[in-house]
Amino acid sequence: MSWMIDRYQALRSLLRRGHLEDEVAEELEFHLAMRAEEYVAQGMTPEEARAEALRRFGSMDAYRKQTHQIDEDMARERRRTEIWDMVRRETRQALRSLARSPSFAVVAVLTLALGLGATTALYSVVDAVVLRPLPYDAPEQLVWLDSAVPGVAPDARWGLSEAGYLHFAREARGLASVGAFEVDNGSFATSDGALRVDVATVTASVMDVLRARPALGSLITPETDTPDARRVAVLGYDFWVRQYGADSRVLGTSVRLDDEPTEIIGVMARGLELPDDTVDVWMPLRLDPASRPVNVHGLSAIGRLKDGTSLGQAQAEITAMSARFPELFPSAYGESFMRETGFNTWVTPLAKHVVGDVDRVLWILLGSVALVLLIACANVANLFLVRSEARRRELAVRSALGAARGDLAWHALTESLLLCLVAYGLGLLLAHGALRLLVTLEPSGLPRLEEVGLGWHGAVVAAVLCVMAGVVFGLFPLARTGADVAALRESGRGLSASRRRNLMRGGMVVGQVGLAVVLLAAAGLMLRSYWTLHAVDPGLKPENVLTFDIVLPRTRYTNYDEVNRFHRELVSRLEALPGVTGVGAGSRLPLRDFGGCAGLSAEGVTPKGGLPPCLPVVGTAPGYFRALGIPLLQGRELTWEDLDRKADGVVVTKALAERMWPGEDALGKGIRGQGNGPPYYHVIGVAGDLRAHGLDKPPAEAVFFPLAPAAKDLPLWGPRRAVSVAVRTATTRPESLTPDVRRILSELDATVPLANVQTMERAVAKSPSVARATFTLFLLGIAGSMALLLSAVGLYGVIAFIVGQRRGEMGIRMALGARAAQVAGMVVLQSLRFTTLGIVLGLVGALAMGQVMSALLFEVSASDPLVLAAVCGVLVMLAMLAAYGPARRAARVDPAEVLRSE
Amino acid sequence: MQIDLLQGTLDMLILKALTGGAMHGYAVASWLQRTTDDALRVEEGSLYPALHRMTRRGWVKSEWGVSENNRRAKFYTLTAEGRRQLKEEFSAWERLTEAVAKVLHAQPAAQGA
Repeated sequence: MSWMIDRYQALRSLLRRGHLEDEVAEELEFHLAMRAEEYVAQGMTPEEARAEALRRFGSMDAYRKQTHQIDEDMARERRRTEIWDMVRRETRQALRSLARSPSFAVVAVLTLALGLGATTALYSVVDAVVLRPLPYDAPEQLVWLDSAVPGVAPDARWGLSEAGYLHFAREARGLASVGAFEVDNGSFATSDGALRVDVATVTASVMDVLRARPALGSLITPETDTPDARRVAVLGYDFWVRQYGADSRVLGTSVRLDDEPTEIIGVMARGLELPDDTVDVWMPLRLDPASRPVNVHGLSAIGRLKDGTSLGQAQAEITAMSARFPELFPSAYGESFMRETGFNTWVTPLAKHVVGDVDRVLWILLGSVALVLLIACANVANLFLVRSEARRRELAVRSALGAARGDLAWHALTESLLLCLVAYGLGLLLAHGALRLLVTLEPSGLPRLEEVGLGWHGAVVAAVLCVMAGVVFGLFPLARTGADVAALRESGRGLSASRRRNLMRGGMVVGQVGLAVVLLAAAGLMLRSYWTLHAVDPGLKPENVLTFDIVLPRTRYTNYDEVNRFHRELVSRLEALPGVTGVGAGSRLPLRDFGGCAGLSAEGVTPKGGLPPCLPVVGTAPGYFRALGIPLLQGRELTWEDLDRKADGVVVTKALAERMWPGEDALGKGIRGQGNGPPYYHVIGVAGDLRAHGLDKPPAEAVFFPLAPAAKDLPLWGPRRAVSVAVRTATTRPESLTPDVRRILSELDATVPLANVQTMERAVAKSPSVARATFTLFLLGIAGSMALLLSAVGLYGVIAFIVGQRRGEMGIRMALGARAAQVAGMVVLQSLRFTTLGIVLGLVGALAMGQVMSALLFEVSASDPLVLAAVCGVLVMLAMLAAYGPARRAARVDPAEVLRSE
Repeated sequence: MQIDLLQGTLDMLILKALTGGAMHGYAVASWLQRTTDDALRVEEGSLYPALHRMTRRGWVKSEWGVSENNRRAKFYTLTAEGRRQLKEEFSAWERLTEAVAKVLHAQPAAQGA
């Protein structure tokens, strides 16, 4: 470190204030002495002379201050120019030196840039999704409220009932405000037809909870949020810009929303959305406290903690309030229900609710790319080592000739920092590109995607990594220059005391191989999960199916007949299109948001805690099963003729039939909605196993009702407004039907908007389980391949270097009778030795990694022997491949030539 | 009698003093005093800051040397830049004094005429 001290002292003397002050004092002392001498000559005593000289000089203080200030300025300026000069000089020198070995510079820069780019990109994703606070005022106070009944399949989270919401909103002391909302699709009339919009119906208190501000006009207030208030709407900012070009004259105008006149009273502030959804139009929920349905859960609810209230306190209060439900709402929540089901309302931090468990995937991925960066760094370090090897003689000679160690270090540092700077720039570009790609790919299941981008956080992290790398690379090859100088002194050619250096290099390669094993094993496990997931039979045939969504305006389609007539007409017109082999309409399609459930009673089954199981209820029009390719194991589905007669048949899935009526014939069994009303629906068909909630989830238990059920006791779904349609075609490009679909729909009813046109295959690929597996596999695959490539390069470099170093020894061996093949074998063996050691270490890491990522795996053991064996095989092959070139070179060593040059 | 120096004039005088060759600060002060027969009051306390300032501007450069009586002293020399500066200041000064003289010797015109 002495060179650093040298530098430091050089800089210090440049600015040394003490030194300057000494000079000034000396100059002044000279002046006073001369003046005093003059006075003594005129006859004064020395004391008088001195005093007179001082008096004549004037204000000593002002003098000091002025000179001091001038000197300071001067020193500062000099320092600036000197440092700048130094930087320029060193940079020029470094550039010249790098230009002499361009391949080294290019490989080092690219390797580093790849590593940095990948790490920065992933870090930016983690930052945007997990680390950055939600885009609300004081987001840490926001909570999600959710009633839940543990263990009631398949959807244990219910949301709040209206009565529950009103109870919490009025009584909870730990919450400053509680708001409830529903998100639905609506039809928005424009001059060129209907537009499907995302409508959030919210209580006025949601505005308080989110601390929403209008960009224009006013927001939803308690006055507009009453059952008899006029219909008003607040436009979402983006929708306002998209639809009205940000025209403020939209305020006070009336639009047709779901074919009803609605007054626009304001525009929401930019960027303010609901936690899980984008919102085009905000409308008041207009709950009626008088009706207060108690047993229908389905409201989403958010709250804001009071200042100073902890989450635990809020949870304790809400738990206590939930425990009083049997007393408050005896008709819905019996004592035994509460006791047996563990019903409660949970308070979750909003950020946790939004991000869910995606953070685990992201951290694993970030860890993986960080490992790649580590491998990249090891490679670059190796490059620097090899390069310094080539320049060791030069360095040692220069050092012996008296070049300051500091100077050498300074050069090396400038060089490496310069390389890292270029790599930094490239890396940021790469990261930016990768993030853009990610956002356009839209992996579903990744929340807050719209916030993902290369921010300053990512750039700073990359910069820190970069400087660290630069300093390490620059300095550590020099750590041994001292020994080299000693070696140089001892023998003219010497420089063979490099065992430690080789050890370091070998260690690095072993480490690289180890890390590659970890990453490849992770990618391999993910690949197997992915395959297994894809091999799962979803229970439907997604090929050749086009799907789209429509919304029927509430005002126009109010009853059973109107809804049925529209669907029947739509289905028959679509069926008449050439190439169409089946058309189905339903309130939900499998693998596309198949949630939402209603409590249903099954004939002859006593539910747990008196609580009817909450089962997905799906409204279907005739043709649904055929269009989607869902086999009916027993019975049949309803026909249009049945619907005309208001028949009461339903289809259930096999999983449901087996749980409700094990060992019995499900056909003919009764199913009833909540309440004690009369008619049972009767099972007329049983569908095959259907993985409707996700390929990684067990087969769904679901009941398929008529799309517009005739019975009155199913309050959850009156006539279905939002409907998804599936059209099976003979062609493999079902999307070619889109124009026809659009035409038919506009002919049928121009106020019905068309949205989300996509193939069923794409819908399956975008379903969360598949999308997440694809996304994770994609990134782990990239990380794994980079690790593999970089390790190969590293291994090759080291083996090639060792061969170069041992040429002499090999020549002698061959002169003594070793055959070329033996020498080549020696080289391959060396490569295998490194690899084996790396594999052993890596396997330990891979097992640990498998444990960490076991939650991401699907039906694959975290220590899957097949994957581990494959990884080992790949790396052994890699070791052979990396050794191939150097081994050939070793075999071609000419002993005579080597011996001559000895 | 003594005359207070005009702002900035000190620099010019010091530059002039140094045209004779390298001088230390005391010599500059003495020369100015001698040449003006003590008429110009040069506060020695402002002489050195002026020298420093001019060093910084590159008009003079300084060097430690040995004085006539064998003491260590800092000697100041005029640089080419300093010479140019002196020339400029000198001609400006001449223009100023001429102009002032013209005014002081002129007959004031009658008001209103």
